[in-house]
Amino acid sequence: MQKGKSLLVSMMGAVVLHLPQGVLEPEIPKQNPLTPAKVELGRRLYFDKRLSADGTVSCATCHDPLKGFADGRPVAVGIKNQAGARNSPTALYTGFNEVQFWDGRAPTLEEQAKQPLVNPVEMGQPSHAVVVKAVAVLPEYGDGFNAAFGARDVTIERIADAIASFERTLAPFTSPFDRFLGGDKQAISESAQRGFALFQGKARCVTCHEFNASFPYFTDNKFHNIGVAMKGNFEELARQAQSVAGKGAVTQQSELAHKPGFEALGRWIVTRQPKDIGAFKTSGLRDIALTAPYMHDGSQKTLEEVMDFYNKGGEPNPNLDGGIRPLNLTKEEIADVIAFLQSLSDDNGGTNFDWEQLKELSRKTRAGEIVAAPAP
Amino acid sequence: MARYVLPKERERQEYEAERERWLQKLPQMSRRDFFRTAAQAAAAATVAWKGFPPHSFQLINVAEAKQAAPKFTIAYISDSHILDKGMNHRFIRACQKAAQDVNALDPQPDFVLFGGDLAQLGKPEELTIGQGILKTVKAPVRMMVGEHDWYLDMGEKWREMFGEPTYSFDHKGVHFVVLNSVIVSDYWTEPKMTPIQRMLAMAQLDNPNGRPFTVGEAQREWLKKDLAKVDKKTPIIVFSHSPLYKYYRPWNFWTDDAEQVQQILAPFSTVTVIHAHTHQPLTNRIKNITFHGVLSTAWPWPYAPKGLPPLTVQMVRADPFNQFDGCGWGTVTALENGQVNKRYNLWDRNPLDVTWDDVSGGKKWVEQADAQLKGNVSWPSY
Amino acid sequence: MTQWARSVMIIMMLALGGSLAALAAGGDAPRHQLPAPADGKSKVVGLCDGKTSVTVTGVAPGETMDPTKARAVASELMDKYDATLQVAHGGAEHTSREMKVWEAETKRVIDDGYKLFHSPEIGTNGISCDMCHPDASNTHPETYPKFQTQLKKVALLRDMINWCIENPLEGPKLADGDDKMKALEAFILSTRKGVPLDPGKH
Repeated sequence: MQKGKSLLVSMMGAVVLHLPQGVLEPEIPKQNPLTPAKVELGRRLYFDKRLSADGTVSCATCHDPLKGFADGRPVAVGIKNQAGARNSPTALYTGFNEVQFWDGRAPTLEEQAKQPLVNPVEMGQPSHAVVVKAVAVLPEYGDGFNAAFGARDVTIERIADAIASFERTLAPFTSPFDRFLGGDKQAISESAQRGFALFQGKARCVTCHEFNASFPYFTDNKFHNIGVAMKGNFEELARQAQSVAGKGAVTQQSELAHKPGFEALGRWIVTRQPKDIGAFKTSGLRDIALTAPYMHDGSQKTLEEVMDFYNKGGEPNPNLDGGIRPLNLTKEEIADVIAFLQSLSDDNGGTNFDWEQLKELSRKTRAGEIVAAPAP
Repeated sequence: MARYVLPKERERQEYEAERERWLQKLPQMSRRDFFRTAAQAAAAATVAWKGFPPHSFQLINVAEAKQAAPKFTIAYISDSHILDKGMNHRFIRACQKAAQDVNALDPQPDFVLFGGDLAQLGKPEELTIGQGILKTVKAPVRMMVGEHDWYLDMGEKWREMFGEPTYSFDHKGVHFVVLNSVIVSDYWTEPKMTPIQRMLAMAQLDNPNGRPFTVGEAQREWLKKDLAKVDKKTPIIVFSHSPLYKYYRPWNFWTDDAEQVQQILAPFSTVTVIHAHTHQPLTNRIKNITFHGVLSTAWPWPYAPKGLPPLTVQMVRADPFNQFDGCGWGTVTALENGQVNKRYNLWDRNPLDVTWDDVSGGKKWVEQADAQLKGNVSWPSY
Repeated sequence: MTQWARSVMIIMMLALGGSLAALAAGGDAPRHQLPAPADGKSKVVGLCDGKTSVTVTGVAPGETMDPTKARAVASELMDKYDATLQVAHGGAEHTSREMKVWEAETKRVIDDGYKLFHSPEIGTNGISCDMCHPDASNTHPETYPKFQTQLKKVALLRDMINWCIENPLEGPKLADGDDKMKALEAFILSTRKGVPLDPGKH
């Protein structure tokens, strides 16, 4: 892999991410420039369960470094063992997405970070004000906020900014496939190489799971109905859609997204456009082998199941994306594509973050050995 | 209502604020503005859910002027171009998809028009498959013939299966006329072309040796007689495969005796032509006649390099990755005032509405619709 | 033309002007048949290309021109000289046989492309290119190379042709160097003659 810019701290205190040659920089909101102090603060908040209503759930609960920054469950489980309705996406590489959540209802990482805090089935706080208070009373964070924001005051914006900053560094680029792209033709198996060719050809994956040198994350950031949500009755879903007409506020979107039955509406919850019923955001595929089960509801347990689903042409329904159709891949071809997908798993955190350290933090906070990452 | 385009997510908050403002203004908005805006999640249950998938029920009856109140609705399925290549062939699946969508309409349309080109090569197998699919449509189906149905055997099988191609009927105060407007002068007898050669020649849209479609003198005479019995104030709706005006001759988006046909229709105060063949949204108005194109279920044609009627709001270019993009079916709603509202139900896109208000508003409406489309879209070429 | 070359030209012409008769007697060499003078009486000077000539008013045939006049005549001849007539490939003109072959071969490949473009035999589902692209409309060959949305990378025209064969037409893609691909490209490009190149245009 060509050496890009290394993680360095310039005179102005900015963080520059290590990206492979030709990869576009992520879009970082102007009001939240990336600094080491914010990354550090964000890391500590990320593992701190005291941000949740009953002190049992942190960001790392569902986005666990030990589990590919997902949680290995079909759907997320929040406080009081409440199950949500959506599968936890990995936090790896999310800094490069155009929008966050399966239905794209958050335009930035900052906006995303705010929602689980107050979602009743996730971290369950009654309001952001309560979250702010919960952090403000913790003396160990004062210095962190000061270093990051120039003042000790805690606000929800700053909490979100810090968490988002930490998440932006979760970009390893240390997979065998990355080495293959860098010129090492032995880095992935021949089967995986055939799989890569199929991915761009007969298997028709690349058109939605966009990959090119500028944007190597395997998602077009668009929303497609491939039929996963369509096991139920489409008419019933449409009826439900009508009954929530008018409920456009962000908090309500967040709740609908986790409400059994309604969550299947997908992108429609945000846009209210008929063609978006049952459409969900194309998932990125880096580290996909680490983040089973698959799809927005975790209904597909293995990559084999996923491939069979696509090979048969998804699930027919009135809104099925016209790009989905039976693929007629042979068993060998499917195995090749799966081998390719497996080559997308990162070995370690690379130079942008220390994955081992985060795994250790996760172990310790889960075991109750520490309550949160210690201050530097 | 023209196409709706979602602003980029980064502008979502602006969009939400604007939507809120729009919702506030709702009671004072003119009918045209209301229908031009996107299908919003309007709170009021009395608001028609325009743009909702037709396979759900629609709340109808918007409070509106009696003039433009809807009287009845018909649906259309058209240009299915069925090939006999196994039931999984996408043309067959698309035709079935349209039939399913029409069947899911609630309330059901009064009847369904089939717009012609049921078969691709006029073969009996193709026509039979098509007929089988149309038999699954719950509402009554009225058939119209296209050139792909006709020129293998000069309409013999069509007549046997579906009856005479030219006929008229009355429905709820509207006089409907169905024409066979794909008559071309004989160029196959002399060179002794075989039936399939003739069919293939007619099937090629860009055939440089093609002859123009006509209605022909016999049918024009028939039309004169048929209309002689109709009161001049009765709304007329003409179903025709070719457009009954002149758009682009090289692709036979053309009826050579269009002026003469229009002349016969001239004395009537409200006339609408619903035509097929062009596989794209098209809107035109010539004197007293409004012309609306219909969608194909099989594939979209690009817009022609010249001759596009100025009232047309073009659909954005289809994506070939999506086998149904640019295709679909639609509805025609006859209004109290005799005019029609046209809806194009494009698959994988939001429906495109062309109302009588839009048409009577003239070019200004097109400019407004085009201005709504900000940002990067793939326009049809030329 | 350099000063030296002009001097050579002048000498050649002066020689030519005086020795046409000698050439005529020689017989074998190609002869520049000089036209009659425009005013009926002056000297006519011919260029070595065998085609171009000027009438030198005020100078009688057989009369020698002074160097200034000669230089002016040489300039005039060079200005009139149609360089495009002198063709490449060793300095000889294309023969009419070569031009016929050139045209016929190009037309053949384009016609082959036309047939393939309109043929349902490239794919397996009966769909042909002209169904979405009558008269090759909407193919925009002049915009390649460009980032092609369906491929998610930069493509040439042939990449998109192969993608269309595999996807909407459900046929086997054409191998590198396949004559069919050349024919298809040739036909598509031939429909956009004169359209300026615009690579990258979306």
